[in-house]
Amino acid sequence: MVTAARLAAAGLARAPGKTLVRVLVLAASVALLGGMLLFVGNSLRTMSGSAVRGVPLDWQGPVGSFAQDKRVAADVARQPGVLQASPVATAPFAGAAHSAGGAITNAGKGSLLAVPPSYLDHIGTFRFLQGGFKRGGVVLDQQMAATLKARIGDKVALTPRAGAPPQRYAVSGVALVTAPDQLFQPLDPQLGPAPAQPPANVAIVDVATFAKRYAPALRTIAPANPGANVQPGAQNGVQWQVQAQLDPGPLSHGSPRAALKRADQTRNRVERSLPGQVQFVDNLSDELNTAAGDALYAETLYIMLALPGALVALGLAYLAALGTVDRDRRDISLLRARGAARRDLLALAWAESLAIGVVAGLLGAGVGLAAVELLVSGGAQLTVARALLTVGVCVLVATAGALAARLAASWSSLRGTVAEGRRKTQRERKPLWQRLYLDLIALGLSGLIYWLTARTGFSAVVNPDSNPTLSLSVYMFFAPALLWIGATLLLVRLRGSALAWVARRAAGGRATTMRGFMAVSAGRRGDAINRGLVIVALLLAFGVNLGIFSATYDQQARIDAQLTIGADVVATAPPGIVTKQDLPGKIASVSGVKSTTALDHSYAYVGPDLQDTYGVDPATFTKATSLRDSYFLGGTAKQIMSRLASTRDGILISKETITDFSLRPGDLLKLRVLDQRSGRFHVVPFHVAGVVQEFPSAPKDSFMVANLSYLQAADHSAGPNVVFAKTGGHASAVARRVTTATRADGTRVQSIDQQTAKTVSSITTVDLTGISHIEEAFVILLTAGAMALFVALAILERRQEFATMASLGAPLGRIGAFVWSEAGIVLGAGVVLAAGLGWLLSKMLVAMLTHVFDPPPDGLAVPWGFLAGLGGAALVATALATALATRRLRSLPLGEVLREQ
Amino acid sequence: MTRREAIAACHEVTVSYGSGSASVVALADVDLTIGRGESIALWGPSGSGKTTLLHVLGGLVSPTLGTVSWKGELLSSLDARARTRARARGIAYIFQSANLLPHFTAFENVAFAVDVSEAADRNRDPEELLSLVGLTAKLDALPAELSGGEAQRVAIARALGQRPELLLCDEPTGHLDSDTGERVLNLIDALHDELGFAFVTATHDADVAARFDRTLELSDGHVVDEQTAQW
Repeated sequence: MVTAARLAAAGLARAPGKTLVRVLVLAASVALLGGMLLFVGNSLRTMSGSAVRGVPLDWQGPVGSFAQDKRVAADVARQPGVLQASPVATAPFAGAAHSAGGAITNAGKGSLLAVPPSYLDHIGTFRFLQGGFKRGGVVLDQQMAATLKARIGDKVALTPRAGAPPQRYAVSGVALVTAPDQLFQPLDPQLGPAPAQPPANVAIVDVATFAKRYAPALRTIAPANPGANVQPGAQNGVQWQVQAQLDPGPLSHGSPRAALKRADQTRNRVERSLPGQVQFVDNLSDELNTAAGDALYAETLYIMLALPGALVALGLAYLAALGTVDRDRRDISLLRARGAARRDLLALAWAESLAIGVVAGLLGAGVGLAAVELLVSGGAQLTVARALLTVGVCVLVATAGALAARLAASWSSLRGTVAEGRRKTQRERKPLWQRLYLDLIALGLSGLIYWLTARTGFSAVVNPDSNPTLSLSVYMFFAPALLWIGATLLLVRLRGSALAWVARRAAGGRATTMRGFMAVSAGRRGDAINRGLVIVALLLAFGVNLGIFSATYDQQARIDAQLTIGADVVATAPPGIVTKQDLPGKIASVSGVKSTTALDHSYAYVGPDLQDTYGVDPATFTKATSLRDSYFLGGTAKQIMSRLASTRDGILISKETITDFSLRPGDLLKLRVLDQRSGRFHVVPFHVAGVVQEFPSAPKDSFMVANLSYLQAADHSAGPNVVFAKTGGHASAVARRVTTATRADGTRVQSIDQQTAKTVSSITTVDLTGISHIEEAFVILLTAGAMALFVALAILERRQEFATMASLGAPLGRIGAFVWSEAGIVLGAGVVLAAGLGWLLSKMLVAMLTHVFDPPPDGLAVPWGFLAGLGGAALVATALATALATRRLRSLPLGEVLREQ
Repeated sequence: MTRREAIAACHEVTVSYGSGSASVVALADVDLTIGRGESIALWGPSGSGKTTLLHVLGGLVSPTLGTVSWKGELLSSLDARARTRARARGIAYIFQSANLLPHFTAFENVAFAVDVSEAADRNRDPEELLSLVGLTAKLDALPAELSGGEAQRVAIARALGQRPELLLCDEPTGHLDSDTGERVLNLIDALHDELGFAFVTATHDADVAARFDRTLELSDGHVVDEQTAQW
């Protein structure tokens, strides 16, 4: 082995140019892999961190009394990994009243949250807008404060239950409750989280005061029998609970799967250490479970998008190894003639590949890291473990790639006799895969799987509930994978025979002119041209597939984000503020805002179902947001919206409701609408104007859309509570300006950019931008490199031929024509093949993920800029390489080359 | 003996490779004048400088010192492009291993040489040239499908396609058996007699050298002897 290492070192040092090319090509190939590893690791960590940080309240453990609450909370707080545990309670109130200046303002029923003063240290279920906690005081949610017209220092009366005497509290603050659906959800550890309909009014009091004054007026919900509280919004007693928040640090270091496992282990340990005392409703694990599903989806997508590129990039190493294949073969044969055994030669190849692999792997990992730092927002956020893993994988793959390329290029010399190895022309036998027609089988299977997928809907599906988790079948990804494999093998099988056929036709018999000489030469060099063509076409196909899929994905992610929040910029305001402060007009005057519309988001009962109800102004709505035809059934968006506009009491309802209640357009529909004045539901007649499947900001299941004016007249609300704005530029910048302009009005402003980056649904969770940038940069570099390598290889392989031409008196221009014509063929045919294969792969991937896109894409988005850049880079590299090659031909040492045997 | 018009010459030509202590002198102070239609053998053992001298005469290698002229033009002072052009105007090579263009058929090898030639009379039919060397049946054969002798005859036809005034042959029979070699030499002799080009051949075979008008013996890059045939 020592001898092999010495020989390898000497061999590498003797041909520094060849060694450098092999190192650079392998480094470029593994750099893509390194970049991917760093990106995926970082991406998964970001997903974990985002999921963990996105949960305002990790655990809620129901207990039976305040005393138990305090004791258990103290015990839980002492457990490792727990950042905070607090004794908390929730309870209903039947009504609230505020008297000022002789007038009494009432609010309907709501919920009371009782927390200790240190509650907000690490738990983020609400935040103060004004004031703060004061022992014996009450903090009102901003909506309730607005309803009651109460200010800090005023006294409000809360009635725990109908018939009970009201209790008076001084208002010490106004808060924005940001997680009411979790705070007031029914707590059943067996069932897990069940986010509830948020109460209309929320008040917050100190838990000690609550225990002393308020709790005695209500019964206590027993933790062992949560049945009384399982119906969302139906809490009728005091729910004592320990609320806890875990330390997010250790959970954010790995993948969501690892974070989920760790969070589950922590919960089990805490519950085991307090046997029979508490069991938690685990909001964190629920979120991490969704994130883990998203992560699986992300990893699969990354693999599908990136792996072919990395593998094709390794093909470049094979191409580079072919540059010296004849010389290597003769060297091997010489060594064998001098007594070296095959084992010795394999050891030599190993040692040489290891040396090259270590250098190329380190270089590649460095380039990959630089690419991630430069092209991905937030950088690589490298940890020692991740760095070691990346370097290890890069070195391993580079070594394996160097060895595989070396062995593949000179395998025949190792297997055959010494005499065969020394021959210039090698006799070749068809490889096994060609004899078994694996290429055609792979293509056939790909088509079959795709057909089955399309036919049976055997594809990725989003669960129909409002929690968009994804169910993926790995089998469906076999179709594009097999298409890659089949197309690659078929291209290798063809070995330029198609090219030879075209060349024969172009030459038109025996060549006697330059055009004919170039045609017959290219035709007979089909194998060599095909080698370059396979690599270049596959790299370009990878680029086309990546570009089209990423562009389509981005387009759909943006549409999905807009559908989720409603518009480019959305401002939510306390009741009455939108009309009173003319928020639509105020926001419309902000720079960058093109148009606005106001809408009212409330709730109404259809039979027993409480559904989100949107009051919109059809005249302005479509100017401030986008509606797609696919959102509606039975007409285009324009038709349905104008039908709604022309029917004063018209209402658009979901298909599910249409089916469940056997409704048809035009039918009378009586809804129970919440009267904001009385706080009670009352019956209001509507007429079905159409069927809606999706609507901006509406949930994915059941909802209704009515005319704003009719709905307002029915629910006596203080006007719209949401403003949609369409922007003409960067939504996030406009959102910041809108926030500044409306800060005094207590608005909450969101932008589509923030939404796209948020963990809300699968499609917006997986941000392909980073990996797309990395791969796009690499594919441009690798394609340019492949073209340059092909040209360099052509010169190397044909140097004696070109020297002979020069000895015959052929001008350099004519000799150079043989190089650029072949490069042109590779590039031209590569572009055509790549366009077809890339488009087909994108079409397949998008079709298979149709159910992930919400709404499904109307067609593929084509990133012309990137594709032009890709083609341009290949063209420039070809032109440069050909120009350099022609220069090199001028300085070819003719005498020396012509003596070579 | 009639004095012939000089068509090519080299004067005090020295060719060395490498530098310093690693320097190798391939040719040292060689003087040679080639008359139109003259046949000259460069005779000597391997490494004596025969091939280098052939390459210098055809402008494939530039001398380190000295001058080379072709039809009165100083070939050694021209750049690569001009030297290539000079070759296209009447210098042809026949190499030891034929050096046929591997992706062209026999016909196309000759046709390519005809096409790039800038000789006055360049419109020669490749088929006719190949029939001259007896290869009418192998017009469409690729070099890999030809025997050594056939490949060398294609190389001769290709050289004739260039309408040479100076034919430079590097061991043209070196890779052939003696019978085939004899036939190839007889063919070149016959064509030389018929077409009247000047003819320089490198050989290590004394019998082959004896067939030429003049023989220069080379050893370690020096011309050590020169003999003129007494016909």
